[in-house]
Amino acid sequence: MKQTLHSTTLDNGITLVGERLPDLESVAIAFHCPAGAVHDPQGQCGLATLAGEMCLRGAGDRDSRQIVEDLESAGVILSQGVSTTHMSFSGAMVARHLPDVLPIYADLLRRPRLPDEEFSGARQMILQNLAGIEDDPAHRTVAMLRRIHCPTPWGMPTEGITTDVEGIDIGHVRTFVARHVQPRGMIISIAGRIDWDDFASRIGRLFGDWSPGTASPVATGPRGPFVAHVPHDSQQTHIALGWSVPPYRDDASHEATAALAILGGGMSSRLFTEVRERRGLCYSVSAGYQTHRDFANALCYSGTSAERAQETLDVMLAEIERLPGTITAEELERVKARAKSGLVMQQESSGARAGAIARQWYHLGTIRTLADELARYDQLSVPAVESWLAAQPPRDLSVVSLGREPLEVSPAISA
Amino acid sequence: MIAETSGSALSTSIGFFVKTGSRDESHELWGASHFLEHMVFKGTPEFSGDEINARFDRMGASINAFTSEEDTVYYATVLPDQQHEAVDLLARMMRPALRESDFDTEKLVILEEIRMYDDQPPFGADDRCRAAFFGGHPLARSVLGTVDSIQALPVAAMRDYHRRRYAPGTIVLAASGAVDFAALVESARRLCSEWEPAPAASRLIPEPPREPAVRATERIVRPSAALDYAVRMVAGPGEQHPDRHAARLLSLLLGDASGSRLYWALIDTGAAEQAACIHQDYLDAGLFVTQLSCDSADVDELLARIVEIYGAAAGGGIEQAEFERAQNKLASRVVLSGEKPRRRLFDVGLEWSHLGVYRSVADNLGIVESLSLDDIRRVLATWPLDGPAASVIAGSGTGG
Repeated sequence: MKQTLHSTTLDNGITLVGERLPDLESVAIAFHCPAGAVHDPQGQCGLATLAGEMCLRGAGDRDSRQIVEDLESAGVILSQGVSTTHMSFSGAMVARHLPDVLPIYADLLRRPRLPDEEFSGARQMILQNLAGIEDDPAHRTVAMLRRIHCPTPWGMPTEGITTDVEGIDIGHVRTFVARHVQPRGMIISIAGRIDWDDFASRIGRLFGDWSPGTASPVATGPRGPFVAHVPHDSQQTHIALGWSVPPYRDDASHEATAALAILGGGMSSRLFTEVRERRGLCYSVSAGYQTHRDFANALCYSGTSAERAQETLDVMLAEIERLPGTITAEELERVKARAKSGLVMQQESSGARAGAIARQWYHLGTIRTLADELARYDQLSVPAVESWLAAQPPRDLSVVSLGREPLEVSPAISA
Repeated sequence: MIAETSGSALSTSIGFFVKTGSRDESHELWGASHFLEHMVFKGTPEFSGDEINARFDRMGASINAFTSEEDTVYYATVLPDQQHEAVDLLARMMRPALRESDFDTEKLVILEEIRMYDDQPPFGADDRCRAAFFGGHPLARSVLGTVDSIQALPVAAMRDYHRRRYAPGTIVLAASGAVDFAALVESARRLCSEWEPAPAASRLIPEPPREPAVRATERIVRPSAALDYAVRMVAGPGEQHPDRHAARLLSLLLGDASGSRLYWALIDTGAAEQAACIHQDYLDAGLFVTQLSCDSADVDELLARIVEIYGAAAGGGIEQAEFERAQNKLASRVVLSGEKPRRRLFDVGLEWSHLGVYRSVADNLGIVESLSLDDIRRVLATWPLDGPAASVIAGSGTGG
């Protein structure tokens, strides 16, 4: 399959990445600014998220309502979100509307008004979201796993902490935006029915004269305890397990993600087979991979009735421990088939491609072609996965339970 | 059979759409449709459940299923060279083994699924509200069933239900994307023509109510809930009613997640965590569903404010510009979702299964573009959103 990929970097540090998908009517665009939650000052967890919301509440000549109305009149499906590393504004639309909406995005990033009168509504919105998360046991379990496993501040909840958000004022937001919403390190990704030269010149006109700003290094601190229990009055107990694996930019990440997919990536994975299909212990169980630029972790999750939670945990741990030395060729072929068809199907979605090429640029500083990605999967072999597992078997697990009672965790699996 | 083929698609989506769901169950069979959906993955006479899972993974298939009040749908998305394999396996699964040992193990999974949803917002308020609206009508039954109904269900009853409800006349095979239609027909002929016909399955449709059976607000108490979750239902146009498209546009204008009247009044201000209006349609009935989550102390007042917002819209308060924004939004969603073969599979398969019609993305766009503000006004006048409603509030019970 022939691909048309583009990238260019402006003098002020903004990188543009793009892929033309000529069979689509749509374009998807995303602006990823290096203003993520990792920059939340201590005691102000949630500041980046609140700042992202405030950027939508008036920018350039438009007030909050005009921004939404103008984007919706162009049929743009707008979203805004803050991750650990980035504050992102994105949108999907029918391609012909792109030139009309780019100036609005430029205003959101460069000319947010951050008005006093919008602040209390914005903060209240964030607090409402935090209250809603209190009622989401699976989300809380995984969030706690990140929090204890990752070194601070990398595992802090991007959505914030209620008592911290209550103490944030509009001055904090203005300071954060001035310091972190800047061109240096920003990635603008686009995919779909695009005219790259026209797009790049429009972005140059809208963003080229923005001064680069200064880098904000992150001071990385210690990780949290290895075992945590969150008391919660629920019928089910939720379990999350994590351990360290190579980050995406490390070549060994292919072996790592393949091993994790064999463990818990599909319907024929070991966790699904042993925990759900064989024993009927749960509705959902899975293993996945979460990566930052410099480190990554495996994540296993399940939720089950309180009285069966200990057995569920024990079976999950046994499967994790059994993994090294037992990978079969048949299992690896299934993982490769799923990964490869997923890569091809991604080409049907402008949003998925815009996301994927931005991620690659952030982690790798380049965009891989589909042929390159497929070839990497072709090269995966059982000996390679096994030798990686032998060198880095799952160890020093972080374990989180959420429910009425804590579970027993053998000291042997945890540091 | 129906397929929408696309020359540029890179994937092939295939689905078996079975016309059966919770509304087709008796009280004794409550939850059987959804439980059966799980059992279909547990094996055929020739394959075990493990083999089915391994085969789909080996195809690189993205595979899943869902059960609703009216449909049970099994679907797979594969690369085009796997079309034959995927159709073959899905078709065999439509004749599952329904082994008792699998049934007993899977029963535990279903019970976990029921407990999982019971622990999550809206803590059963949606099912209870549907029951309050539909009263004695079969649409009142929840899809999952209850812990008691699932525990009491014998395997023989499921086998009988399968024989009656998975007859050839109640199943549509649909496909979208890069489809080889001639090969699809050949696969179906080879795999499905031996299926034993059953008498046309009656759906036993009593006339659904136009007004809620229960009007008093019910409460579900969850002491540990951080927020209250309210669900409110009033009648709306059903699937066969010409106003269903206008109803969808109206629900976007009033209660979409962004830019709607409820958004500006309740979400933008931080008064509520969620405030949405959704149009849901069934074969012969429709609902406007309001979902609200907010602080326990505010729930009654905010529900009342939502009803006032609906009343103001019905009182002639919608401007042409506001209508056009909602229309653009809906048109854009039709185009963007039309690019995804998986999404087209559901649209094409369900419309064909329910109504026997096929509409292309361009047809759907034409329908949206033909709507006018008068259509919206007519819907508001015919189905008063501020009228008699069923309401259920789940929460800590500390406010209000």
